[in-house]
Amino acid sequence: MDFEKIRQTATMEWDIFANSKKPVILVGAGTCGRAAGALSLIDNIKQELQSNGIDAIVMQVGCIGLCYLEPLVDIIKPGQSRISYGRVTPEIVATLIKNYLVNDDPCPEFAIGSIGEKNIPGIPLFFEHPMLKSQVRIVLRKCGFIDPENINHYIANDGYSALSKALKMSPDDVIAEVKSAGLRGRGGSGFLTANKWNICRKQISKEKYIICNADEGDPGAFMNRALWESDPHSVLEGILIAGYAIGANMGYVYIRAEYPLAIERLKIGLKQMQEYNLIGENILGSGFNFDINIKEGAGAFVCGEETALIASLEGKRGMPRARPPYPAVSGLYNKPTVINNVETLGTIPYVILKGAENYSKYGTKTSKGTKTFALAGKMKRTGLIEVPMGMTLKEIVYDIGGGILDDKAFKGIQTGGPSGGCLPESCLTLPIDYESLKEAGSIMGSGGMIVMDENNCMVDIAHYFLDFTQAESCGKCVPCRVGIKEMLKILDKIKTGMGTMEDIDKLEELAHTIKSTALCGLGQTAPNPALSTLKYFREEYINHIKNKRCEALVCKEIISSPCQHTCPIDTEAPAYIALVAQGKIKEAFDIIHKDNPLPSVCGRVCHHPCEVKCKAGDGGEPIAIRGIKRFVTDYAMKSGLKPKISLKKNKSQKVAIIGAGPTGLSCGYYLRLEGYDVTIYEALPIAGGMLTSVIPEYRLPRKVFEFDIEAIKSAGVEIQTNVKLGKDITIDGLLAQGYKAIFIATGSHKSIKLRIPGEDAEGVIDSLEFLKSINSGKKIKTGKRIGVIGGGNSAIDAARVANRLPDTEKVTIIYRRTIAEMPAFKEEIESAIEEGIEIKYLTAPTRVITQKGKLAGISCIKMELGDIDNSGRRRPVKIKGSQFKMELDTLLTAISEQPDTSYINKKDNIHIGEWSNVIADKEVLITSRDGIFAGGDVVTGPATVVEAISAGKRAAKSIDKYLRGESLTGEYKVTRPSIYPKPVELSETEITEAKRPAMPLLSVKDRNNNFKEVSLGFTKDVIIKEARRCLRCDLETEDGKKSIEKKND
Amino acid sequence: MEQSATDFLTQCSKKRSGLIAILQKVQNKYGYISKSLVSDIAKYLGVSEAEVFGVATFYTQFRFTRPAKHNITVCLGTACYVRGGAKILETFEQELNIKIGEKTKDYNFELERVACVGCCALSPVVVVDKTVQTKMTSTKATNFLKNLKTEK
Repeated sequence: MDFEKIRQTATMEWDIFANSKKPVILVGAGTCGRAAGALSLIDNIKQELQSNGIDAIVMQVGCIGLCYLEPLVDIIKPGQSRISYGRVTPEIVATLIKNYLVNDDPCPEFAIGSIGEKNIPGIPLFFEHPMLKSQVRIVLRKCGFIDPENINHYIANDGYSALSKALKMSPDDVIAEVKSAGLRGRGGSGFLTANKWNICRKQISKEKYIICNADEGDPGAFMNRALWESDPHSVLEGILIAGYAIGANMGYVYIRAEYPLAIERLKIGLKQMQEYNLIGENILGSGFNFDINIKEGAGAFVCGEETALIASLEGKRGMPRARPPYPAVSGLYNKPTVINNVETLGTIPYVILKGAENYSKYGTKTSKGTKTFALAGKMKRTGLIEVPMGMTLKEIVYDIGGGILDDKAFKGIQTGGPSGGCLPESCLTLPIDYESLKEAGSIMGSGGMIVMDENNCMVDIAHYFLDFTQAESCGKCVPCRVGIKEMLKILDKIKTGMGTMEDIDKLEELAHTIKSTALCGLGQTAPNPALSTLKYFREEYINHIKNKRCEALVCKEIISSPCQHTCPIDTEAPAYIALVAQGKIKEAFDIIHKDNPLPSVCGRVCHHPCEVKCKAGDGGEPIAIRGIKRFVTDYAMKSGLKPKISLKKNKSQKVAIIGAGPTGLSCGYYLRLEGYDVTIYEALPIAGGMLTSVIPEYRLPRKVFEFDIEAIKSAGVEIQTNVKLGKDITIDGLLAQGYKAIFIATGSHKSIKLRIPGEDAEGVIDSLEFLKSINSGKKIKTGKRIGVIGGGNSAIDAARVANRLPDTEKVTIIYRRTIAEMPAFKEEIESAIEEGIEIKYLTAPTRVITQKGKLAGISCIKMELGDIDNSGRRRPVKIKGSQFKMELDTLLTAISEQPDTSYINKKDNIHIGEWSNVIADKEVLITSRDGIFAGGDVVTGPATVVEAISAGKRAAKSIDKYLRGESLTGEYKVTRPSIYPKPVELSETEITEAKRPAMPLLSVKDRNNNFKEVSLGFTKDVIIKEARRCLRCDLETEDGKKSIEKKND
Repeated sequence: MEQSATDFLTQCSKKRSGLIAILQKVQNKYGYISKSLVSDIAKYLGVSEAEVFGVATFYTQFRFTRPAKHNITVCLGTACYVRGGAKILETFEQELNIKIGEKTKDYNFELERVACVGCCALSPVVVVDKTVQTKMTSTKATNFLKNLKTEK
């Protein structure tokens, strides 16, 4: 048949759809779409059409790449632009058909965008969508726009025109065109396609073969599947052209059996080609004969390697052989064979039809054209994209992918599958091409890109990939079969907390040996995930080995339960929660107090990292751990429970502690337990530091703090208030008095200046000073209108306190970023808003307006979020001309604090850092002077209460070692609870009804003009029910499992 | 009962290179590749049983024992893994009280893993009786089993 005639027939059929007088409904029904429910949605659509009496064409199309919005349904009303709708449900289908097809409301609320000339009010242009805007779609250009099971749709849109053109060219000219396009193999290695073809073309042989490698075995890559399912003929046309160019008459498609839909569409495609004489004898009357065979892969990753693939095609075990000879010289059945990737072949028709220049104008010097990538993992917008080579990883992750899921921190991006590597943040600016990725220690591979966030452990990721390649190793060569297994064993050791630093060297040595000695690509590249993580995430390995920590909370044998591992003071949350679940409140209190001398305080104001990381929070709600702790301590307080305190025999040595904040108190308590004579000197009239001087009473009532400090005092810790270092006492003086060690824990009390004109005016008050005055009962005049600058907890505290003062009419917080970036606790921000405080986000102060030296107001400028900085957060930038003024009576500044160490002078011989912080060893907290230790906020700058307690605990350990004359090294063990209470069994109804309780709060009205505690605490029934919801992650370690077995014996 | 594929095999190509396709067809028809079927295929192609068995065991697609009523295949591709696929697998293991690659005693369920089904954008996924279930959670997994168990 003449190609022109075929085209006419095809165009007629395409017109039925393209110029339809009836509405057309397109449903994305690739594997992703189907998995998201596309097929049952088609039934819904048909039903709705019928019940509304509408005659419409319903058609399945392939994947457009916005997989995260699946299922996608597009509607074209006659004469209108096409509208694409995302995350369509049966309910939305009903609405769309009624509102848009019956009436004329296009329902912009469900729309992603419109495609076509006519703008539809309220609906943006589809290709302006952030995921699509910067894409260049060449291979994917027809995906989602034609019926993949209808060859006429393909032909009517330029399909097989390239073949028709190529058949009129000489094979050498075809190869020359591909060569000048600069196309390189899209399977990963990047060999020049034209060169491969040329080598094969030059071989003298009656039989030659072209094989399309569709064994997309890389986990995390699905671009080939999507292309087969959405536009199979583009690849088939590419195979024909390739066959013609190299002089082959037979082509094979080696496709993995895991892709049933792709295989089905491929088969349909081949059948339709036969009808048009696009395969078989004398194709399009050109004299060229060609046939295509489908071979289903039977599941072996190694068959992606070309020589293994050939073995598999020959019906053998898919084991690779040494090269050379390369398949282009001697391949399938020892005949010259070209093996090309799906995407490479899918690109060929475009190159031939539109000319090499139209392809090579995209890309970089050495990597021409476009590349498809499968975006997956912790990205907001996952799916399939096609971009010009040379685009940066950052553009892909943030502009196209929309950044990290749940705005977590970016950790790494894995490219190239098991043969590739993990690249860190510092590589995000890398332009993507074959060379730059290789240089960075990864590879392009077939184009999988998987983003990892703070909850992914890189040691575990390396383990994952090696486990995969180890299982997929064909076993032919020793380096791969034995070597990878050995690497895996070492990784196992590190993951379970048994690794040594020598293991890292061993891993690297093994990796390099395997890389240079394995037989095939699989083996040679298998160590890449380990090598790249060792290169970029070495600290994580060391953290596992030396500190027994897995901050991503993945390696179970190290972390036991996330709540305990993540607690800076190792609180055995799973143990006390389990005791509460059994109603054993007193026992729970003992467990809590064992690791925390300020448990009642923490039950109220801890920033509870345990809850943030609680596993029950994955897809549900975390256990209310802080609420449980508060209940237990409240119970202890009410019932007069005293914590178990067992002191060791008194030692003769005396220790002085400067500062009675949480750090100093904790250090003093634990040293006292060891038997030391401890005196804490406090500059203020009361002990507690920030807990009593700054944190408002509505968050932490004084009596709560007093309950905790009573226990500390009862252990024998002496506290002297109103004693100031540098004035009443000195370091040398204390040593002279016989103190054998001194611990400095004076906190971080100095507010940082705003650095704007006028801030020294009367009426501008440092928020810490303000809070201190209020807490100590002083009266200050603040007027009616109060502004607060900052977004941390001090800012919110200051605002909520100011709002409680009788004269106050309005409190406004000014913050330069958005609520998402605000460092203050979320519940505090919510309460502030509830209490009527206004928060002006994206606003920065520029000048304090004064009148006769007094504050009159503030001049501000609006900000917008601009470019992404290297931390992955958008940087706030000023909006020109957006200045505005606010009238104020008082301005409270709370941007941050730094330590005030003016009391330490040169002759004290203690090194001070640039933020006037005391410099102390991070691990053992010793300063530059022998016998002098420092910890907490005075070393780190402002931190949380529980971190302060942690510093105190660590200092106590160090000082004890120091006084015993032992060497000061940190002690690290894998995390474990001291007891494993028996797990409770939940009834069916309990499981279904289990829900995190909301903390009862004082009504907003009742908070006016007073400092009554806002959180009211839970009742016993509620708390036991909540404790029973705990997943008991602690029982998942080997130790935990054994404990259950023992109990069952 | 011993199965015989002698008649069925006559529809297949006798070429040695067709072995994998034969194994696929035989498995499709008989559900799995039993010892006697290996022997039939070997005879048909004129090769040793060891060769047939050697090829069959190389590829993960082939199974050598009777399949269970319901097949649950957990995807542990990279995308599924980083989004909690291992936790989903653990849930199934706990609920069914079997390990990966095993079947329940009543042959109601079997649990397998797959390297990737290409639904990475909707991870983590599980294939339950050939249907892909997306964005899995432990709760969803438990509910699935409950429904499958009650449907007789």
